Amino acid sequence: MAEAILLIILGYAAVGAGFGVPFLLRGIDRIDPAARGSPWTFRLLILPGVIALWPVLARRWRRAPRPEGAP
Amino acid sequence: MSVGYVTVQWNRHKRVYDSLVGGGVALYLALFIIAGKTLYTGAHAISDEILAIRALGTCAYLMLHVVLCTGPLARLDRRFLPLLYNRRHLGVATFLVALAHATIAIGFYHGFGNVNPFISLLTSNVNLGSLSAFPFQLLGLAALLILFLMAATSHDFWLKNLGAPAWKRLHMVVYLAYALLVLHVALGILQTQRSPWLAGLVGAGVVIVAGLHVVAGLRERGHDRRGAQRTARVNGPWVDVGCVDDVPDRRGMTATVGGGERIALFRYDGCISATTNVCAHQGGPLGEGRIIDGCVTCPWHGWQYRPGDGQSPPPFTERIATHRVRVVGRRIQVDPTPLAPGTAVTPARIEEDHHG
Repeated sequence: MAEAILLIILGYAAVGAGFGVPFLLRGIDRIDPAARGSPWTFRLLILPGVIALWPVLARRWRRAPRPEGAP
Repeated sequence: MSVGYVTVQWNRHKRVYDSLVGGGVALYLALFIIAGKTLYTGAHAISDEILAIRALGTCAYLMLHVVLCTGPLARLDRRFLPLLYNRRHLGVATFLVALAHATIAIGFYHGFGNVNPFISLLTSNVNLGSLSAFPFQLLGLAALLILFLMAATSHDFWLKNLGAPAWKRLHMVVYLAYALLVLHVALGILQTQRSPWLAGLVGAGVVIVAGLHVVAGLRERGHDRRGAQRTARVNGPWVDVGCVDDVPDRRGMTATVGGGERIALFRYDGCISATTNVCAHQGGPLGEGRIIDGCVTCPWHGWQYRPGDGQSPPPFTERIATHRVRVVGRRIQVDPTPLAPGTAVTPARIEEDHHG
């Protein structure tokens, strides 16, 4: 039981970390214009929250309007 | 305010605040460890690791009390507002101290076997039905996870992207973390210390936190009840909300009309303006703020709006609702129906008082 709980938490965090890298490189600029041009230290600062709340941000990223000229 | 995100919005005030927090934590830890080494010697000596665990744990617990008491204290007495202004940094610092406490505790008590320390933490004590042997560490772990979520979502990015209501609800979970920590500490003391004065301190902390919230809540309720008795006149929308002399110059005052949302009134440059009382940032009470550089300034985090149209000064783009206002004699009358955020309203000029 304890092993299963730990595995679920680690799996969730691993997916969040995998999601976090492209999100902080591209996705964040799509869902929030105020993040465009923000320093990498800001992006690093919000990474723990991105890992914790990645399903919320993934949904927002999917629904965000595509930038002009994108395929 | 949201033009572009920065890592930390430091200013002189926040640097002083953070320096005091950092210095205070370092001083507390040093004094705790020195006292522990001095008072417990010989056969009663406490190991360095246990002293560090206790110093960090009690420090984080005290800091959480300060975090929780700041809100009601600032409502009861404006002199506590500077503590509120940078409370988020204090919250993050509380999490970091609690994390250090948990890291050393898990490493010290669960890190020397061949079982994963977290598995050991979850499985080494399963006496869930026993008060005197309850695995209080699990309560601390749950509270730490909540404090992590608070700290990780403390940046304005989260406030904007989760939405203020959801963000506020998320951060109200800090009270659940506090309840878990009270049990964590109380059961821990019960199992290891059996000292009545320590149990008394924990009880006193709960009474102070709960008492301040109740007193501040009762005061707010009284304010709203008085406001609910104000209703519009028969011949128009105007509602009398007070005397111009009730509003200090370059400061605000709040008024409630008919049980609706509070209205903030501001006096400046011989005029009165009215806006919503709710800051667009975290819902801070604008009416408890001041006019700084010609702008309404929220007492919580310093967000600013022009009193005449509710718009943040350029380059910022936030807007709050405004209200029509007029001054008749020395009485302030407002139209309780809010105008669209950012709507310009002519400020009501205060007639010169020729009586005195």
